Amino acid sequence: MNKSLERHPLSRLLVSRQSAMLLAVSVMAALLSPCFAAYEQKPDPAGIATGDKTTAVDAGGNAFAVPEPTDKNAPDYTKNKKDFDDYQAQAAKEPLAVKLADSVGHIRIATNFAWTLNTGYLVLFMQAGFALLTCGLVRKKNAGHLMMLNFAAYVFAFLAYYAVGYAFQFGAVAVNAAPGNLGGVPTLNHFLIGSGQWGFLGGKGFFLTGPAYDAGSNCLMLFEVVFMETAGYIIVGSICERITFWGFLLCELFIGALLYPIFGCWVWGGGWLSQAGASMNLGHGYVDFAGSTVVHAIGGFAAMALAMILGPRLGKYGKDGKPRAFPAHNLVYVVIGTFILLFGWMGFNPGSTLGATDLRISVVAVNTNLAAVAGSATALFFWYCMFGKPDITMACNGMLAGLVAITAPCAFVSPTSAVTIGILAGLLVCGGVLFNERVTKIDDPCGAISVHGFCGWLGAVCVGIFADGTYGSGWNGIGAATYLGNAGQGVTGLLHGDTRQFFCQLAGATLCAIWAFGATYLVFSTVNKIKSMRVPPEVERDGLDIPEFGMSAYPEDAVVTAD
Amino acid sequence: MKRIDAIIRPQSQEQVKEHLAAVGVHGLTVTEVRGFGRQKGHTEVYRGTEYSVDFVAKVMLTVIVQDERVHDIVEAIMAGARTGKMGDGKIFVTPLDEVFRIRTGESGESAV
Repeated sequence: MNKSLERHPLSRLLVSRQSAMLLAVSVMAALLSPCFAAYEQKPDPAGIATGDKTTAVDAGGNAFAVPEPTDKNAPDYTKNKKDFDDYQAQAAKEPLAVKLADSVGHIRIATNFAWTLNTGYLVLFMQAGFALLTCGLVRKKNAGHLMMLNFAAYVFAFLAYYAVGYAFQFGAVAVNAAPGNLGGVPTLNHFLIGSGQWGFLGGKGFFLTGPAYDAGSNCLMLFEVVFMETAGYIIVGSICERITFWGFLLCELFIGALLYPIFGCWVWGGGWLSQAGASMNLGHGYVDFAGSTVVHAIGGFAAMALAMILGPRLGKYGKDGKPRAFPAHNLVYVVIGTFILLFGWMGFNPGSTLGATDLRISVVAVNTNLAAVAGSATALFFWYCMFGKPDITMACNGMLAGLVAITAPCAFVSPTSAVTIGILAGLLVCGGVLFNERVTKIDDPCGAISVHGFCGWLGAVCVGIFADGTYGSGWNGIGAATYLGNAGQGVTGLLHGDTRQFFCQLAGATLCAIWAFGATYLVFSTVNKIKSMRVPPEVERDGLDIPEFGMSAYPEDAVVTAD
Repeated sequence: MKRIDAIIRPQSQEQVKEHLAAVGVHGLTVTEVRGFGRQKGHTEVYRGTEYSVDFVAKVMLTVIVQDERVHDIVEAIMAGARTGKMGDGKIFVTPLDEVFRIRTGESGESAV
């Protein structure tokens, strides 16, 4: 995702063109914050000061305006000073051009605002898709309960993210946490825990106050909160039909306030994983374009921990340990839900450029679709070969698996690689569902662990394999001028000659799985010991609709408890 | 021949089916029914207004057996359907005059 620091033309401009060297300068500046004050920008709640001549850039991201170099001891000072003087002389000759550039810069930021907000609305609509998909996949007697979980997830996780989550994730890059595409000037100056290249937790902008009360920050907040909601929804698919409502609300608050924002800070908020390229020479650092791990694997592995804590649904495994099928109660919901998710993903991935002025969005959109259909076709044929008939619910899971896996690499790979990734994901999701059903015996009613957990992990690793170097030059501050000896070389994978990137992806994705599973297991196995998060057996047998909420999704079928 | 109708909780039907299979029942008919007995209905609140669910959903299992097997079958149904709480249901046993198998035209006990 394009929230990394030196990636943005504006910050590249302000921090100078030699970004590797200047990253070091900014780290020094972070340590000496009085020196750093010059880079800070006042919050702009009205949006009238966001976007001026400094944000007017050409197609290559080169800025029109040249900033005045401030550090006289920097090696490039003489050259930068000359560039600045030339620009000043030119500007004095053509004042109208400078005024025009102010306008162009503002419109560029406005275009990116419109893109980011609208794609954010598409991601918001994915919640409807999740609700339909998970509801369709469970038994009729729990349909109302599923709808309530899906609805309450949005409400409570949103509030948690507003209160502290956003600050933990992006507060490190305050004062204005918005990336360059949204007119912000991110810095690495405000970690609550850690500093510079080794930041672990952001620390500004709680309750969207202070520096976060800013037009650019709020644009980012809207886009990010719906991503967090996606991670929050994923767990529903694994814990449904047996979790109590209060237990579920605790899970949502935990994900919105802590689990998601902390890992999000490490990867998208300027944290230590994103800086692994600069600090440990691991390629471009850990790269996850739109959240295969940051969103999906976090949700998927948290779901795995919760499903293990809760145990399988009553009757899922017979006395002989053999799994029993609990067929989906409404395939129509399943298919419509999946298509809504596919549609929403057109915001999820292309929107993650955070700017329509980044024309890679078309490749991202096509890659996303290709992986989706390849994953679906693979799952369909896999099931056909294994069990004699294609299974519509697995074809839908295969489509989602392809989408989850392409989410991290979508901007960095060719369409051919996208198809390959989709096929790998389609195979992995089928294997994962059978593995959980028959071997680990973790009861996962909607396949969320396989779709989001396993395929999320795969997606981030695929960046390290298939990234072809055509996009992402300067990502996380690495290789803005040249990378691997080529000018303009972007994020590169194993197949195109960057082994270190592959190791970084493998380690980062695995760390994500460990973090999500470990933290969730630790917290909720403790909660579960204090008070069981599972409904009593008789409630589970009758269906959760009436006992938990007093109403059934299909009242004419109401099965009422006897006592 | 006897006809056994057992009205039980819907969620008990799998267990009852297993118990019946264990005593050698090869066929049965399930009907979704609703009604009330001593347990009566149930009151819920929908958007602030109370409403009663007067008829509770149950399933009715129908099994046709030879006279001497009635005891075993009734025991099997009770074992599968009993939770000890109100609403476990009832079993009715009635005499049956005749049975025909449509495919072959057989009648009597050989058609059961």
